[in-house]
Amino acid sequence: MKEWIRKWLNGDLDLLENVTDAAEVPDSTREELKEQKKEFRQRLYEKTNTDAAIQAERKSFYAIYRGIAVISCVVLIGVLLFTVANMPRYGVENPRTVEVVKRYVEKGLQETGAVNIVAGMILDYRAFDTLGESHVLFTALVCVMILLRLDKKTIRGGHLDDYYLVKQDTYFDVSKDSIIRLVGTVLVPCIILFGFYVLLNGQNGPGGGFSGGAIMGAALIMFSTAFGFDTVDRVFTRKMLMITSFVSLAFYSFAKGYVFFTGANGLENHIPKGTPGAILSGGLILPLDIAVGLVVACTMFGFYSLFKRGSIGGD
Amino acid sequence: MMGEWILFGVVAILLILALLCFTAAVIGAYRFGFVLNRMHAAGIGDSLGLLCVTAAVVAATGFCMDSLKLILLIVFMWFTSPASSHFLSQVEYFTNEHLYRYTDRKTEEE
Repeated sequence: MKEWIRKWLNGDLDLLENVTDAAEVPDSTREELKEQKKEFRQRLYEKTNTDAAIQAERKSFYAIYRGIAVISCVVLIGVLLFTVANMPRYGVENPRTVEVVKRYVEKGLQETGAVNIVAGMILDYRAFDTLGESHVLFTALVCVMILLRLDKKTIRGGHLDDYYLVKQDTYFDVSKDSIIRLVGTVLVPCIILFGFYVLLNGQNGPGGGFSGGAIMGAALIMFSTAFGFDTVDRVFTRKMLMITSFVSLAFYSFAKGYVFFTGANGLENHIPKGTPGAILSGGLILPLDIAVGLVVACTMFGFYSLFKRGSIGGD
Repeated sequence: MMGEWILFGVVAILLILALLCFTAAVIGAYRFGFVLNRMHAAGIGDSLGLLCVTAAVVAATGFCMDSLKLILLIVFMWFTSPASSHFLSQVEYFTNEHLYRYTDRKTEEE
């Protein structure tokens, strides 16, 4: 048995003696951090310029890198030029554009049940495209969260150069102002109501998921500016944002996938279309609009919250 | 016949007034040097100019759903625009180090 294990068993040795808790390390100032970074860069620079092995590796890496870059550029140019060469001539009628447009305009109302043909197009005929768009929003939110989210470990460990900048933001907090509180009290309900109107009327008039969601997200931002983030955190936590986004996107994917498999593009299916012009019409267009709107609202408020203070819902 | 001409005159006078307001706003926003002065000039167009244009359109259309929406527009604009101007000027007040040059304050200390 080794010496230190016996000592540890006897209670003479404390293994955690030299390990300090991250909370006890004092924050170094910005100047110190800058100095350390500069020193580290200088050392790295000197080492990479003197080491022969690193030099050789770097040379071969750049040779391969340039070769791959040139090849991928040439391939991309070739593909794009080939596509352009195969495009229909400008001004000449070709069946691919004429027939599709004719079908959408003439039979759009009958086949999708939406008075607004644009909504019928983006959420019925071309719903796959909209599915991708809403997933792009969700992915962007996830990426911003990975990059900007400040958890407690980052702040406590002193790894953060701009911690002081983040703290400075609270000096200019306007949520104590009585003017903005009054404006928020009057405006936020109106904006949210208008957002619901635009969201629910997507199949009957201008509007739909993206614009309605953007208005609702703006209302949330207005609310958090007027009453502070603590008020929003009681309802709108990070968990709730994630659950809402996930449920909306999953519902969209499953519902539209089901429709695509059972009968897309105006084929018969058993989802009722309703009377055109009513709120509950257009088959799946209204639920899909609501799903898209929720994702957009969550994404907008998530962006604002992450950029403003580095977290959603206070954790 | 006479009533229509009176209506036309009212609409024309309101529109000309609005044009004058907007001209003053544009000239002021470009010619003044200090930020708060320029905000004041732009505010003339935002408040009185907007009111005159919207009142002219309301008078021209008569009372219907559209004019109701336009009146709501005036309410919302008059509600939000002063608030945003207030916060813009507050930011200027807090961040401008040479504010004492433009105002009545004699020194930086006061």
